[in-house]
Amino acid sequence: MVESTETVSDNKLGDELNSESQVKTRSLWQDAVRRLLRNRLSIIGLIISSLLLIAAFLGPTIAPYSYTEQDLMNVAKMPSPDHWLGTDEIGRDLFSRVLWGARTATLVATFTTVISVIIGVLLGALAGYGGQLADNIIGRLIDIVMSVPDLLLAALIAVSIKQPVVSWAEGIYESNGFPLFADTTWLDLLVVFGGLAFVSWPGYARLIRGQIFSLREEQYIEAAKAVGVSEMKIALRHLLPNAIGPVIVTLTFSFSSAMVLESSLSYLGIGIQPPQASWGNMIASNIGSWSYRPWLVAVPALTLAIVTLGINFLGDGLNDALNPRSKRSI
Amino acid sequence: MFIYTLKRLAVAIPTFVVVLIITFTLTVISPFDPVAMMMTQFEGTLDTLATEDAIKRIRDQYGLNDSYGVQFTRWLGRMLQGDLGISINGQRNVLRMIVKTFPISFQLGLAGAVVTILMGIPLGCLAALRQNTWLDYTIVGGTLVFRTVPVFVLAPLLLVLFVLVLGIMNVPRGWDGLFQTKVILPVFILALGPLPVVVRQTRAAVLEVFSMDYVRTAKMKGLEMWRIIIRHILRNALIPVVTTLGFIAAGLIVGSIFLDSIFAIPGFGGVAEAGFRGFDYPVIMGVTMVSAIMIILTNLFVDLIYPFLDPRIKLE
Repeated sequence: MVESTETVSDNKLGDELNSESQVKTRSLWQDAVRRLLRNRLSIIGLIISSLLLIAAFLGPTIAPYSYTEQDLMNVAKMPSPDHWLGTDEIGRDLFSRVLWGARTATLVATFTTVISVIIGVLLGALAGYGGQLADNIIGRLIDIVMSVPDLLLAALIAVSIKQPVVSWAEGIYESNGFPLFADTTWLDLLVVFGGLAFVSWPGYARLIRGQIFSLREEQYIEAAKAVGVSEMKIALRHLLPNAIGPVIVTLTFSFSSAMVLESSLSYLGIGIQPPQASWGNMIASNIGSWSYRPWLVAVPALTLAIVTLGINFLGDGLNDALNPRSKRSI
Repeated sequence: MFIYTLKRLAVAIPTFVVVLIITFTLTVISPFDPVAMMMTQFEGTLDTLATEDAIKRIRDQYGLNDSYGVQFTRWLGRMLQGDLGISINGQRNVLRMIVKTFPISFQLGLAGAVVTILMGIPLGCLAALRQNTWLDYTIVGGTLVFRTVPVFVLAPLLLVLFVLVLGIMNVPRGWDGLFQTKVILPVFILALGPLPVVVRQTRAAVLEVFSMDYVRTAKMKGLEMWRIIIRHILRNALIPVVTTLGFIAAGLIVGSIFLDSIFAIPGFGGVAEAGFRGFDYPVIMGVTMVSAIMIILTNLFVDLIYPFLDPRIKLE
């Protein structure tokens, strides 16, 4: 896919250059947007991602019911005009719960991504600039975190920080009575953030470290150093623009994998606890009845599948658009 | 070769030790109290009978009152003797739980790995040979679907599709050995997880070998295409595919955590899932460690056989 869009765009560019005497200039970013919008899959991804964001921001407003509201006259009903996607086994509207689940998933994915980018970039920069020892230590740390499956490690961390987080919040609540800390939803989220951030930073650290090391070999960096440009300026002027493309791509992929991990943790009963809506715990609580109420498990499962796929399509499109020279990553 | 093996071991062992320390530390720093957890299970019945003294005795029995160092050395010593402790929920020997369920998961995982490789290599090869055609896009894009969609989403959807919509199979439940029809769906689902990695690796490797001089020479000699593919391309292209074994192992382990309870398979993953659901620390530590050992051993195995497959590695 990469290669095809590239050759097509090169040919067209060539034709334009030949046929038109006036050459239109395009910035790097305009070029990237053009490449992105030319790819059909990334348009689909863009639409799905936008729908997710709309659902996350406006979901509670557009949702016809609250996520806890029970309609006891219509328990475990198939989809109907009143309940677009049906109701679950205690009469809650499935469509509304899926919308609230979108908010949970987006919240978790956004926060985790932000936290892990910060940790990853800082550690990656430390490995790149901090000398041999720092590089070795951080390198080993990355290897170790990556040698245990993401889900196992995230689950392990979430399980073990759960109680400290809860007692910490209880302490705050008892001492100054912040109503925020009485609400356990936040604590579930905090626990999940912690677990997920811990497993998702190595990708960024590797990326930044790799960029620093490969740039060091470049002649224009050598030239910049030779004329006496400071390290800081080189980092801001050359490293940042070079790294931003790969970072955006990694961000997209880790956003979707954070969503999947959140659902997995919630499925295992470690993450977001019912009655809060998470696609993972919705699947978990209905999976036992898949054979006679299939829509209860199919709706959240399909939503999760479609959303992660959409984000990954977008990620692939961004990869082709922002790093046209790179090969498709595995 | 000997030095190379030592070097690889020197990487694998510290990794494992650090995994041990992290696992243990995480469960110790957590002031989560397994005894309190036991008490809540008996809420309203037995916990009214439990005196302070009895609770202290239970805590002593599990060694929960000792310092970190003492607990860690004792735990490490026991673990080296193969004692992973006793589960909090149900008071069962963790090692025995794992040993009893592991063979089932191992067979399933092996079958899954075989299916992954048998599907992944031809698909990757096909995608590379038809590079940039609709077939290539379909294979790469189609397998991309399984890169992120987790087992607990795929399994119910496929069950609904095959059992309810198409009606071509009965509900596959339980375990009666590997050679049963009801194993087909679980193995297939397990195999799909790591499939995209194998497909992409094969595709990339075949594309790389395809532009080599000796392939062009073979074509010029007039060899048939299938002979070139088998004799010249696959032989060289399959070497890097071996490195995906680590991914496959990790994918299979994580997949089985969700799969076992959905298909009522009495496997390793089911033990892990129950451990997480019940906040059962000895079980969680046991399964994490066994998983880490499996993955580290797989990667070590890959490192060790790689020089035999690709003699160029020895030079480095």
